[in-house]
Amino acid sequence: MKASLVELSKFETETEQCMKCGFCSYVCPVYQEEKTESGVARGKNELVKRLMSGELEMNRELADRFYKCTSCMACTESCPAKAPIPRLLVAAKADITRTMGMRFPYGMVYRHLLPNRALFGRFLGAASVFQSVFMPKSNGIIRHLPNVLSGISKGRQIPSIASKFLRQQAPAVNKPRQGRSVMRVGYFTGCMNEFVLPHLGLKTIDFLTRHGIEVVMPREQSCCGAAAFLGGGDFETGRRIADANLAAFSGLDYIVTDCATCACTLKEYQRFLADTPERKEAYADFAGRVTHVSTFIADVVGLQASAFQTPAALKGKKLTWHDPCHLNRHLGSKEQPRRILKSLEDAKYIEMPGADRCCGMGGQFSMLNYELSQKIGQKKIESIESTEADIVVTACPGCQFQLLDGIVRLKKPQKVMSLMEVLG
Amino acid sequence: MLKSAILKQLETIVGKDGVLTAKADLATYAYDGTTTWSHAPDVVVLPNTTDQISKILNLANDNRIPVTPRGSGTNISGGSVPVNGGIVVCTTRMNRILDINKANLTATVEPGVVLQDFHNALAKENLFYPPDPQSFLSCTVGGTVAENSGGPMCIKYGVTKQYVLGLEIVLPDGYVMTLGGTTVKNRTGYDLVPLFTGSEGTLGIITKITLRLVPRPAARRTVMAIFDDMVRAGTVVSRILADGIVPAKIEFVDNFVIRRIEEKMKIGLPVDAKTMLLIECDGSVAAVESEAAQIVELLKKGGAKISRLARDDAEANTYWKARSAGFAAIYGAARTVVAEDCTVPRDRLSDFIEKLDEISKKSGFEIVLIGHAGDGNIHPSVFTNSREKEDLDRLQDTLTAIFEAALGLGGTLSGEHGIGLEKKRLLAKALDSRVISYMQRIKSIFDPNNIMNPDKIWERS
Repeated sequence: MKASLVELSKFETETEQCMKCGFCSYVCPVYQEEKTESGVARGKNELVKRLMSGELEMNRELADRFYKCTSCMACTESCPAKAPIPRLLVAAKADITRTMGMRFPYGMVYRHLLPNRALFGRFLGAASVFQSVFMPKSNGIIRHLPNVLSGISKGRQIPSIASKFLRQQAPAVNKPRQGRSVMRVGYFTGCMNEFVLPHLGLKTIDFLTRHGIEVVMPREQSCCGAAAFLGGGDFETGRRIADANLAAFSGLDYIVTDCATCACTLKEYQRFLADTPERKEAYADFAGRVTHVSTFIADVVGLQASAFQTPAALKGKKLTWHDPCHLNRHLGSKEQPRRILKSLEDAKYIEMPGADRCCGMGGQFSMLNYELSQKIGQKKIESIESTEADIVVTACPGCQFQLLDGIVRLKKPQKVMSLMEVLG
Repeated sequence: MLKSAILKQLETIVGKDGVLTAKADLATYAYDGTTTWSHAPDVVVLPNTTDQISKILNLANDNRIPVTPRGSGTNISGGSVPVNGGIVVCTTRMNRILDINKANLTATVEPGVVLQDFHNALAKENLFYPPDPQSFLSCTVGGTVAENSGGPMCIKYGVTKQYVLGLEIVLPDGYVMTLGGTTVKNRTGYDLVPLFTGSEGTLGIITKITLRLVPRPAARRTVMAIFDDMVRAGTVVSRILADGIVPAKIEFVDNFVIRRIEEKMKIGLPVDAKTMLLIECDGSVAAVESEAAQIVELLKKGGAKISRLARDDAEANTYWKARSAGFAAIYGAARTVVAEDCTVPRDRLSDFIEKLDEISKKSGFEIVLIGHAGDGNIHPSVFTNSREKEDLDRLQDTLTAIFEAALGLGGTLSGEHGIGLEKKRLLAKALDSRVISYMQRIKSIFDPNNIMNPDKIWERS
């Protein structure tokens, strides 16, 4: 095996699990659109094996194929041997990034902007002022992303940068509304709630503090690192981010986030980034403390159905649920969000066909393969439409953007909301 | 390497998006479901229409370029591996179900329809297409016709060839030929439909298929039985059939697999048990109930340690899920796995099992049995972790011994996987040389330039 394949070499056993039955092809969102073998897990595993044996060289052509995966893990779920091929691809990306570098402008954004909240904030702050001047407005809430990031967004319809970030709107310590606190949790905001959707963060803080929970929002917290190390294979930056987050949340028994991708990423530090025994132990401990807010309120706090009230604006509405892959397959949380939504007495829950099918976002996947991402997204929008729901609820800002993008593009009437937004 | 003029012409025929030439793409069309065969093509073409396939074959024929047809590449014979390079014609984009005719009980499909999608579409109409190769989630209908695939259901319902009524074929010179039709009875000259069914891509490319359907059975019940002794389990299977009961499936799972399944799935199977039989009855509610009850009695009389009627669909599904995880369990166990496909008459099953035990003891290779007991197709699988040539040669000798044992009992070289590359070295032992020569001559009638999947089925003479 080639010496440069430091990360892939750790997954050699996993590459031997595939028996080439092709069951992955039936559920792979990329394969279902393109019907070509390098799109699906079985083909990608073959490419990884050939890279490791030296039959294929590391080059852009190969890298492009590794990047063509939404990491939805549907392949692993369908696989009789449960081969975790999307994880091999993360390792492969790390080896690619180390040997070939990262594409512009991703490297700059991941390495310097995302981890540095103050700098990223100033950058986006400036962008939010300029976006209304330079960017065409499209139906109220949705505008194009500003200048530099537009290189990444490829004209995608996404919500605008908030004029006031979450950290400017909520204090570092949020005491329960009344009485003594029953629990103290660290709140991991994630980039999207911090900079784009701060009102969602405020909702979460409000909900938790109303239920006697003290919410601490450490100012030193960073980005989760998904874009840098899971998406971009930049493990070095990943470790820098991970260590910053560990330090920021030290002493907190629970770390809660309402972004499924963030929750999953924080738990994945141990799998990909633990390069020393100290980090291994620390990352494992950290992972044990991280919970997605839906699991947290449903299982850890154990709130009963009566705790979930339907806000006035949603009374009589029909809701459906889109499973974020990071919540459903990566974290195995399928039932909790449904339990919460079904307990909303004045709203009607409708299960959509293929609720657990990937929406096609997949972070960097959709930036590099936007047209393909749109096609995958379109199937999801059709599923949503078939339920005749008024609102599609999810728990991942990435999915939320993708659904919004599809709904606006296809001129559908549905609203997209975050889980914490529909709890009064 | 193909000349760039050829690649240009292929692009003109199917469009840029349907022609793959990147090294990384070609590598993913080098394999099928076997662990041993691998060879990359020079180009992969993904056509959308019969007309495109006709033009591709015409071009290949004029330039004497080998063509390997491929669906999802889940076959386990080496059949879709392009051993001579050339063009892979992959039908996965031709995946429309053209017609489901409830009144005539037929359906017409394009070759790239995935079997599970076909099953799902039929279920909506309360119809049923029995052939069920265990790659149903990925295999294409075209592939199952080209390989004449079987599956667990075949004991009662027969294999693919019993369902193919009509075919549209593109011949190597580009001619589009229609065979058969949409009638169940059809006696017009030589019947060429079954010739192309199971032809392993060596005669032409199947572009349209008309299949016979049956109504969906109203009820299903599953019986599970555990045996201490494999031979005894084999005897019981023959006895069930001799009693005039033909269940939809009788599947054989041995101890190794029971253990592996339990390890992976934790469903509470007795891990010391030698053998498991899984039996499914289907039909009307009354028939299924009485059949299942009779089977439970026969299993008990035949020495089953546990014999149990699954309470409900959920329990039955757990068993069948474990069964389909079986092959993964085997494949996960070793670097090289060869799932043999030789098949014996159903009344010789216990004799075959005894022989396999002898061969295993003599060779030192563990032989795992997981397959279709009901039709004598129990897929003895031999595996090794060794990469030494000596061990791999010994493995081949062991396979030869297994298949000689099957032939000695009146069996056959391949029940449902086909010959492809995997078994062509053995073909001359199974067939009269004159029979092979007729086959070769038939091929040369349709494919005089030998461009269609060359070097499959028989050794080059």
